[in-house]
Amino acid sequence: MAVSVEDKPPIAREPAELPPALTLSPLTSKALPNWALKACMAITGTVGALFLAVHLLGNLKVYLGADAFNKYASGLRSFGEPYLPAESFLWLLRIVLLICLVVHVIAGIMLWERSRVARGKFKAKRTNGLRAWSATIQPISGILIFVFLIFHLADLTWGKVVAAQGFVETTATTSSAYQNLVHDFSRPWSAIIYVIMMILIAAHVGHGVSTVVHDLGSMGWRWRAVFVVIAGALAIVILLGNASIPIAVLAKVVTLS
Amino acid sequence: MSEETAFQAPATCVPGVKLGDILDSKIPDGDPATAWLRRRTGYATVSPANRKKFTVVVIGTGLSGAGAAAALGELGFNVHSFCFQGSARRAHSVAAQGGVNAARARKLDSDSLNRYVIDVVKGGDFRSREAEAYRLGIESVRLIDHMNAIGAPFAREYGGSLATRSFGGVQVSRTYYTRGQTGQQLEISAYQALMRQVQAGTVKLHPHTEMMDLIMEDGACRGVVVRDLFTGKLYAQPAHAVIICTGGYGTIYYLSTYAMGSNASAIWRAHRHGAYFAGPSLIQFHPTCLPVTSPYQSKTILMSESLRNDARVWVPKKKDDPRPPEQIPPEERDYYLETRYPAYGNLVPRDVASRNGKERVDAGYGVGPLKNAVYLDVTDAVKQLGAKVVTERYSNLLQMYRQTIGEEPLEVPMRISPNTHYTMGGLWVDFDLMTNISGLFCGGEANYAYHGANRLGANSLLSTSVDGWFTLPFSIPNFLAPRLSETLPAMNDACVLDAVDRTKARVEALTSIHGTRTSTDFHRRLGDILFEECGLVRSKESLTKGIKAIQELRAEFWDDLKLPGEGEGVNQALEKAGRVADFLELGELMCVDALDREESCGAHYRVEHTEGGESLRDDDHWMFTSAWQTQAPSAFDGNPQMSFTRHMEPLEYKNVHVARRNYK
Amino acid sequence: MKLTLDIWRQKDSASEGHFETYEVDDLDPGMSVLEMFDRLNEHLILEGKEPVTFESDCRESICGCCGVTIDGHPHGPTPHMTTCMQRLRQFTDGQRLRIEPLRAGAYPVVQDLMVDRSGLDRIIAAGGNVDVDAGSAPDAEALPVEHATVEKALDFAVCIGCGACVAACPNGAAMLFTGAKLLHLSLLPMPKIERNRRAERMVAAMEGEFGACSLYGECSAVCPEEIPLTAVAAVQHERLGALLARKL
Repeated sequence: MAVSVEDKPPIAREPAELPPALTLSPLTSKALPNWALKACMAITGTVGALFLAVHLLGNLKVYLGADAFNKYASGLRSFGEPYLPAESFLWLLRIVLLICLVVHVIAGIMLWERSRVARGKFKAKRTNGLRAWSATIQPISGILIFVFLIFHLADLTWGKVVAAQGFVETTATTSSAYQNLVHDFSRPWSAIIYVIMMILIAAHVGHGVSTVVHDLGSMGWRWRAVFVVIAGALAIVILLGNASIPIAVLAKVVTLS
Repeated sequence: MSEETAFQAPATCVPGVKLGDILDSKIPDGDPATAWLRRRTGYATVSPANRKKFTVVVIGTGLSGAGAAAALGELGFNVHSFCFQGSARRAHSVAAQGGVNAARARKLDSDSLNRYVIDVVKGGDFRSREAEAYRLGIESVRLIDHMNAIGAPFAREYGGSLATRSFGGVQVSRTYYTRGQTGQQLEISAYQALMRQVQAGTVKLHPHTEMMDLIMEDGACRGVVVRDLFTGKLYAQPAHAVIICTGGYGTIYYLSTYAMGSNASAIWRAHRHGAYFAGPSLIQFHPTCLPVTSPYQSKTILMSESLRNDARVWVPKKKDDPRPPEQIPPEERDYYLETRYPAYGNLVPRDVASRNGKERVDAGYGVGPLKNAVYLDVTDAVKQLGAKVVTERYSNLLQMYRQTIGEEPLEVPMRISPNTHYTMGGLWVDFDLMTNISGLFCGGEANYAYHGANRLGANSLLSTSVDGWFTLPFSIPNFLAPRLSETLPAMNDACVLDAVDRTKARVEALTSIHGTRTSTDFHRRLGDILFEECGLVRSKESLTKGIKAIQELRAEFWDDLKLPGEGEGVNQALEKAGRVADFLELGELMCVDALDREESCGAHYRVEHTEGGESLRDDDHWMFTSAWQTQAPSAFDGNPQMSFTRHMEPLEYKNVHVARRNYK
Repeated sequence: MKLTLDIWRQKDSASEGHFETYEVDDLDPGMSVLEMFDRLNEHLILEGKEPVTFESDCRESICGCCGVTIDGHPHGPTPHMTTCMQRLRQFTDGQRLRIEPLRAGAYPVVQDLMVDRSGLDRIIAAGGNVDVDAGSAPDAEALPVEHATVEKALDFAVCIGCGACVAACPNGAAMLFTGAKLLHLSLLPMPKIERNRRAERMVAAMEGEFGACSLYGECSAVCPEEIPLTAVAAVQHERLGALLARKL
């Protein structure tokens, strides 16, 4: 069955072609490269986590009674007086937090979308336990936390829509934050939302803070180990500390009287 | 020269073999120690502005291919680099474990360039060129510097200087290493250097392409035809010079420590165009490979022979002993290496250990499910030194054994069997690494250089790197310098179209057989024949039988091969079939070479030529390199009727005293 | 031993793929997954069907050619082990396996189980190398290197380039691969000299095709060479370092 060249009819002879070669990367960086977005998320996330820690300390004053809590709320507004105009510290804080939030959310969305494209249409299996699980829920918890943030502001700052009946607006000198909080958490559905959200925030903070060192490029195993511990501790403290309050209200440990 | 006039070619016992010419290695006359330095100084050069006018094709991206392509790219030549793998980094140089020799002689162990050359030439059993060994030694010094600079993390002493170890039975410490993966680190460094030139635009890299044929014009090589393995399309790349660096052909034995894709096709295509093939039967077998455990095993894995330092090799004294090894008492075990070679014991050289193992298995004392292995037993060492010490010394090897075999080597003796590991044979090249075809060069394991009849441990990484980085970048410009006015063949020139047509015809010949057996089936059978008849031990009878069996098998192949598809798109079965078709021709030449060479030297062991069971060289008649030419009626017939001519390159030793090996 | 295989079949990168089911019954527990494919293909060829295309070369866990996804695990269910080393004895007789190519947006399927991983080569070409021409290197002894530094560099230099890290990553990121190379070269004295330029170029090439890291840790969990997540941090370290190192 051997076929030799001589036996065959002449083949149509078209000019041969040169072989194609490996293409190269254009090496053009994106306007907002991933590594910069990651670093931005790490920094803004750290600010957010620090805020949450301070916020928690304030919240825990609820166990010291109405006066202590309301005084703390008023104090935030008058902080820095008489050297600074009234509420200036609060507004500075709000502006910084708002910028961080916007940057964090936009960077997160951009990275999420880019990664979705990079992954392609077949999803990857998660096998790496808690770390993979917490990374997986990070964008979901992020979105929910964002929605919750608006809910939380409407509920306890602006006193709109979802706020409990009897919400009393804060004035320049007085605060009814304690009463508002107790009214609010006396509604079981609201208390449940807060407790669930605290679990999500804890997960988000836990993964986020442990990622910060990676994203800021720390390669030493000690720093990364330390941050895993810090992240875990912060997550647990935020969860237990904050979630205890609605539960305490429902359990009548924290009451109006 | 008087040497050449005095040379008397011995007659051949192989029917049909003709005696050919005396070959000139182009080694400058005079002291071999300075031959390379004098040759290099005398090389012609190409001016930097003219270099990009020359196109050089490099086949293969192992240490020699990647090195040559990168170095020529750095000089400014227009280089095209081809590899069949998806990435240039995957060439099988990556799998070398032990280390790389260098005659840097920094320690006070009396190492020197001369001592290195003596070791290489003696290791090669006086069948290699002295001047080439000097080149290896001279260039090894800056090879280490270069590889260190471009990223190979060579092991360091605590003081920060380079660490060396003693390797392959030599008495000095000159082997540089990066743990057990020196080949990987050198290959990755060379690949990175190659990719740097790809980014710079001097090298065009063509992954997943296989060289199918050479473009030949007036007896000179003018480029290559390649097949894109993703699309099945054929392309032509004309060139002023072609370098083949495609590695060894040990996969011809089917089971080997080579990669699945390792093949002889590029060098065999070149050979069929007239490039001489030297020492095809000189194959190194490694004694400590993992055994074959299933009939469908595709390859064997090497375990470093360092294990033999603490392990004892044995077989049961009783044939077909059904007992598990740990239940066989010591007095019923045959520690055959220790009894036969009291001086060296389990540490005899590779070929001796391999041969004795095979002898025991053939005598019916083999162990394991397929009765094809011997025991390599560390359990005694575990008893003496403790499991912890043994594990520390050999953890990665023991782990590999556990993973592959599924047994605990600290408790149950391991099983090993010898397997193909390195091919000393390859295309005959002159001192400039050019074959006898003008414009066709060959580097690395694919050529026959440096190692003679047996390769010294840790010399393979060195020779292949020196070829690529520090020989071809000198000799290629020397070849090109007088050819500035030569234009490349156009894409519609007859020589290009002929080469494409030959390739098409060959692909069609393979796909139009429509038989009933797969190429793997034929390959496995070929491996069995070669391992039995042209393996560790050869005899006139076995080789004659082998030649006949291979001829029959080749006829069957071209009559009964079954292939899927028509050669378009990805067709791995077709790739494999093409390689097996070439192996079926090379296999015959291997047997012819082994039958023709009536002596035992290095890895070539003929039972007729022994003394007290040890190999016996015949320096009076056979101190030369056999470089074979194959004639066939049509270069690309399916099943050719081949006849062979033996050309000869006499060898002479001026600085090294010719002596015999002895391990008793 | 018998196994039922649902294998991804895809004619070329432009076609839609699908699963086809095959039964292979002449298997031995000591065989590797790739040898199982060899058996299957021999049967398919003899039956006149198209064999399954898959990549493999060295079959000793060093070349990085092989890699399929078995039941969702890149390379296979045993962690830190290339497909060529995955043995059938980890499966039970009669088990059903789902075999897919390595999946990532940057890995277009060439055919069946074979993907194009040239994106990884583009990252190395961009800067994963050292700008020293052959012959111009200084004496290797002239720059002493600490023993531990070299060993650490080797821990990252051992990457075999199989690309399973990308396939394991839910973001299709090549951070472990890129970071291992950055770290390997930044630890050694000569290659270290151009670390900033290297980081800028390699990261640009990487981000051109691959995703960003969310620290799932899946890459390191599957890596045959067990390269730690330090490599991931190294990408940010080297790239931010390059940003801060800009002077004048």
